[in-house]
Amino acid sequence: MGQANRVGVYICRGCGLGDRLDTAQLAQVADREGKADIVREHEFLCSESGVAMIKQDVASEAATHVMIAACSRRSKTDAFNFENVALGRTNLREGVIWVRPDTDEARETTQEMAADYVRMGCAEIKHMQVPKGNPDRGSNKRVLVVGGGVSGMTAAIEAAKTGYEVLLVEKTGVLGGMTGALYKRVPYAEPYGDPQDTGVSALIEAVDADKRISVFLNSTISRTSGAPGQFSVDIAKESGGTQTENVGAIIMASGFSNYDANQLPELGFGKTPDVVDQLGLEQLAKAADGGVIQRPSDGKAVTSVTFVQCAGQRSDKPGHLPYCSGHCCNTSIKQAMYFKDANPDIDTNIIYMDLRTPGNGEDFYRSGQRKRVTFTKGVVEEVGVANGSLQVKFKDLILNEDVVADTDLVVLATGQVANSGVDIDADAQATQEDKEAKVNQIKIPVESILNLQYRQGPDIPHLRHGFNDSHFICFPYETRRSGIYSCGPVRRPMDIAQATEDATGAALKAIQAVTNASLGRAVHPRSGDLSFPTFRREGCTQCKRCTVECPFGAIDEDEQSYPVFNESRCRRCGTCMGACPVRVISFENYSIDTVGSQLKAVDMPDEFDEKPRILVLACENDAYPALDAAGMNRLEYSAFVRTIPVRCLGSVSNIWVTDALNAGYDGVMLMGCKRGDDYQCHFVKGSELAHDRMTKIDDTLQTLSLERERVQVYEIAITDIQRVPELINDYAVKIDEIGMNPFKGF
Amino acid sequence: MADSDTAMVERYRNSFLNEVEANVEEGDWVKMCIQCGVCSGSCPFGPHWEHPPQELFMMIRAGKREAVLSTDSMWMCTSCYNCIVRCPREIPITHIMHGLANYAHRLGIAPKMNPTRRFAKLFWDNIAQKGRVNEMRLSVGLYFMDGLASGIKKSMEMASTGWGMFRAKRMNPPTLFVHKGCKDSEGIRKMLKKAQEIEDRRKGLTV
Amino acid sequence: MTDVVATNETVLVVGGGISGMTAALETAECGKDVILVEKEPALGGRVAQLYKYFPKLCHPTCGMEINLGRIKANPHLRVMTMTEVAAVDGKAGDYSVSLKVSPRYVNDNCTACGACAQAVTSEIEDPFNYGMSKMKAAYLPFNMAYPQRYVIDSSIIGTPEADSAKAACKYDAIDLDMKEQTITIKAGAIIWATGWRPYDAAKIQPYGYDRFANVITSLELERMMDKFGPTGGKFLRPSDGKEAKNLAFIQCAGSRDRNHLKHCSRICCMASLKQSTYIGEQFGEESDASASIYYIDIRAIDRFENFYKAVQADPKVKFVKSKVANITEDPETGDVILHGVDTEGYHRYDNRHDLCVLAIGMEPSVDASEIARGVSADMSGFIEFNNDGGAIFGAGCATNALDVNRSVQSATAAALRAVQVINRVSAAES
Repeated sequence: MGQANRVGVYICRGCGLGDRLDTAQLAQVADREGKADIVREHEFLCSESGVAMIKQDVASEAATHVMIAACSRRSKTDAFNFENVALGRTNLREGVIWVRPDTDEARETTQEMAADYVRMGCAEIKHMQVPKGNPDRGSNKRVLVVGGGVSGMTAAIEAAKTGYEVLLVEKTGVLGGMTGALYKRVPYAEPYGDPQDTGVSALIEAVDADKRISVFLNSTISRTSGAPGQFSVDIAKESGGTQTENVGAIIMASGFSNYDANQLPELGFGKTPDVVDQLGLEQLAKAADGGVIQRPSDGKAVTSVTFVQCAGQRSDKPGHLPYCSGHCCNTSIKQAMYFKDANPDIDTNIIYMDLRTPGNGEDFYRSGQRKRVTFTKGVVEEVGVANGSLQVKFKDLILNEDVVADTDLVVLATGQVANSGVDIDADAQATQEDKEAKVNQIKIPVESILNLQYRQGPDIPHLRHGFNDSHFICFPYETRRSGIYSCGPVRRPMDIAQATEDATGAALKAIQAVTNASLGRAVHPRSGDLSFPTFRREGCTQCKRCTVECPFGAIDEDEQSYPVFNESRCRRCGTCMGACPVRVISFENYSIDTVGSQLKAVDMPDEFDEKPRILVLACENDAYPALDAAGMNRLEYSAFVRTIPVRCLGSVSNIWVTDALNAGYDGVMLMGCKRGDDYQCHFVKGSELAHDRMTKIDDTLQTLSLERERVQVYEIAITDIQRVPELINDYAVKIDEIGMNPFKGF
Repeated sequence: MADSDTAMVERYRNSFLNEVEANVEEGDWVKMCIQCGVCSGSCPFGPHWEHPPQELFMMIRAGKREAVLSTDSMWMCTSCYNCIVRCPREIPITHIMHGLANYAHRLGIAPKMNPTRRFAKLFWDNIAQKGRVNEMRLSVGLYFMDGLASGIKKSMEMASTGWGMFRAKRMNPPTLFVHKGCKDSEGIRKMLKKAQEIEDRRKGLTV
Repeated sequence: MTDVVATNETVLVVGGGISGMTAALETAECGKDVILVEKEPALGGRVAQLYKYFPKLCHPTCGMEINLGRIKANPHLRVMTMTEVAAVDGKAGDYSVSLKVSPRYVNDNCTACGACAQAVTSEIEDPFNYGMSKMKAAYLPFNMAYPQRYVIDSSIIGTPEADSAKAACKYDAIDLDMKEQTITIKAGAIIWATGWRPYDAAKIQPYGYDRFANVITSLELERMMDKFGPTGGKFLRPSDGKEAKNLAFIQCAGSRDRNHLKHCSRICCMASLKQSTYIGEQFGEESDASASIYYIDIRAIDRFENFYKAVQADPKVKFVKSKVANITEDPETGDVILHGVDTEGYHRYDNRHDLCVLAIGMEPSVDASEIARGVSADMSGFIEFNNDGGAIFGAGCATNALDVNRSVQSATAAALRAVQVINRVSAAES
């Protein structure tokens, strides 16, 4: 540790702070109660001279720890940016003067509020250290790509082009994947008129030509352990034998399986070889190679073909896929063109519910129409066989009539089923909801793809319908396993064009992961964060809660059930810290003490002062910005709240809540994100976990004979700028109703 | 379900579409329809259509030959062009409607008593004869085509219009008996005959 | 602004919306130097103006807060707002880009205290709200604006208003002498992420966007949902300020239409489905408020199908398979009457609604053919990907009609392409 911490507290008088607050009193608080080594006030702290003043103290080593008492930690981040200094911010502007009326009556409570925030800031900074970066860092920069289809090959080629070595592992004996089985692909450039070459041979050539790419055919991954920058994988060959390799990041491009059309007997599949799925048609087209496609049953030239869209898709029937596979409308247009291009007199009818050709697919749709492909909005009920011909029974939704049409060949546009490996949550989530979801049981291949030696299970978690991704809007690449990125149709149903783009992006993420891992930094969403969790083994009770609750699978267990932290897998959310009942997990700049000491530092008025205290623990990404914005809009709220931002509600330890109640707080408000299916937590489960943990707090409250209302969990969106002050004020009224916490003063 | 058309043309095959493309003016646009219905909604005569344009297009694609050619729907078109202007696929719907009507007429399966068809025929015969419209003959022919009683009734309804046209010298009762025609009626007839030949050749009706 | 340091190992990202921010961050987090330029005074772009995202119904500023946190933490990334690209010269690995920096009249000293806005009385149209409301001529663009710094609108420069703004600022943050500047920087690769703009709704003549007050665009409806927006978070009819409880959504307003945009804009079906859920949010799930969605095909592809199913199950929402023919207005009530034909079985309708929302199509903000030599444009003006050896890469909606998720994918892929060029440059120079 070397020299002792020296805390400098810098109090700003700008933006009305000097007018509204007695900053001299605040300085006194910092000095006497906060035990700061230096306390300085400044008229305009974020100005050049203010910042220079702080920098001088840092340079002269008068201050190793800087606590800024000014605006929100979200403001003026460029100005208050010091290297190698533990930095704390306490929020007197958005958090105090801007949410309080500028009146004589309010002056006293506003000053008390500010003084408490100075106490809290001083308490926090004492427990903070400059993060030094995770010491257990690997610097392997090789990228493992699992899956040799278009997604995998693209990821491999792009990563290699960037200068990285790639191991490309493919289960079968050939590269190309599903696309390799196609005759042609849907066009991806103007004029979007005709089917195009699949491009698979060109990709294979590029893979083969690139010395940085090593290809492993007939191989699977039988073991993966380690962390970004230092993964160790066993590549098992079908012929036997295993090769162990070290890689820095993993791209999972395991693609999809074709939906088993045998589950669609009503559509004639399995009853006659003349009902095929789209993949089956591709085989026929390959065999015909530009000529007229022949009917499988009798080898006669097909004269009419009917395409049944959404076969076993977009359906709630048992065994069907509830989702849409996205590519199939374009694929059927392409396949109808196989016929039309060979012989324009072949009749092709595509029966669809909604024709889904987004973007430039509209051009392709037009091109199909120009080639006289018939498009019929309808629902197919049955495909039967009569007199050597197929009969498609459907309802034409435009003409509003039931029709039976004869046809030589039927193509079922069935869907994509993700090859996402083992559903590690399958048993854990035996909720009612899940049982309902099971009604739509989708057959998912259950062989593990990665065989992760993680305590949390062998594959990356699934979300809905067996596809794996975590945040599918803003951050589509963020899986719940650091350094492992998925791309292509294993992530969500997609076509070749999207998979190509997706794979290129995944290659970037893999490269970024190895870069950050070698520097000991976190990846998304706390990118660049150098703090990392440490743990006191002697205090640990081996309860495994941290390993169970870590949303990112960063913590394993040793033989004695002690947690084994893989810092490079950690996203620094602090969920483990919140989970730990014995408080042995902490970060250098965020710990049980950084928060615990703050809430205890508050000056607690006694029961008869009629000044309740409400602790707000607010998620720093959503609730805290909403509170800031409330301040910016000068929306007032109770002077009795004391707010502490937390990394995630999942990092909230029950001890903070019980400490707060024991210290005399009259209520605790936990503000996190939306939980549930459409969770909005960037650490996946934080809000959910906090909610569950707080149900346990209920028991504690009961044993203390305290009202349940004294601890409340809220779902707050970042846009709840008006709602947050209302919630606070309503809660203050409620506290008033139930009365003061009887533990005050003990 | 029992539909006389099914027997004639195989359903949802291109045969009738091909026939339309070959014989109907702008018929090769029929396949481009996406069934949005903006044409049907844009037609000022909309409610009078048994089968609006977009539905006719689907019927053609479904192979409902008889139903399409015998309906009076396309005879409703007044050439306002609202549909063409709004069609997201720029389909020349007006022309196709006229083309379909024309084709049905040529095949002799257009509804015989359809007033539009009869007016068109009357007008054509009137003008083709002498190269100039004889308003007297046209009106009388039109009003009296359903018999004397209804003719008198219709004439009475239109009396004030007729009077106005008379005063504006647009209608001259004696011309009912003497249709003067243009200077070179023979030349006009020749011209029309030639045009017919060219058109028939274009449509592949003659060799 | 003359202190901008850029070399041929710098990546220039043009456009600070979700795509540009993503491209810039993903590149910078690989350790590359990035300059991100945005022509507006704040980052966020089109998504910042949205109330919610489909299908999770979460708020765009939530993801943006994460991205802003990443930006604040990253020493490799420099943001320049109110900056546009004037010209691009050079070749891959060696571009020279001239940037036009418009005056903000507010410098880094600004603390966003808001004193200047209080001092100013003139009001201007608020572009963040598509001109549906006014704001002070000294303003913070929106609540979550980054940089968190005010702007003095150029319309008051040279007036006493500007002087009072300056006088009100205690921190010497207002500099009325700022001038437009042109600076030239170097860049090894350029990511072009200038996004999209809504198709001009007035061009869709039969819908009367320019004639009927109660015909609005989907983007304007998003602003209405914002509690800080032009209607305080309520569906208020522009004609009379009454609450709109019976909404119509017209799909393909401009899209899939040879008279307007030939492509399908991809997002509009999901946007209207999303907006139909706002009705329950506004009036309660059990209310008698309603919406009708007039569509040709509902394109809720892949997992979005779940969302479509959920909306279909909502009795408040009706689906009509029809491209609306035209709209008329009831001059008495201001109601809009939609005329057309439901083509599923042929039903004519003349449906009265309080408010009609045009699910407006997407066109590129900048015609790709005008970006620089070597950048190829498709027929709609989107950037076409080509392998011509240049290092100007499209990202997001500058390349196609994309939703947020795909924009982020595209931006991340563009980041890699840029990193590849920079790595080649560094390899050649070391």
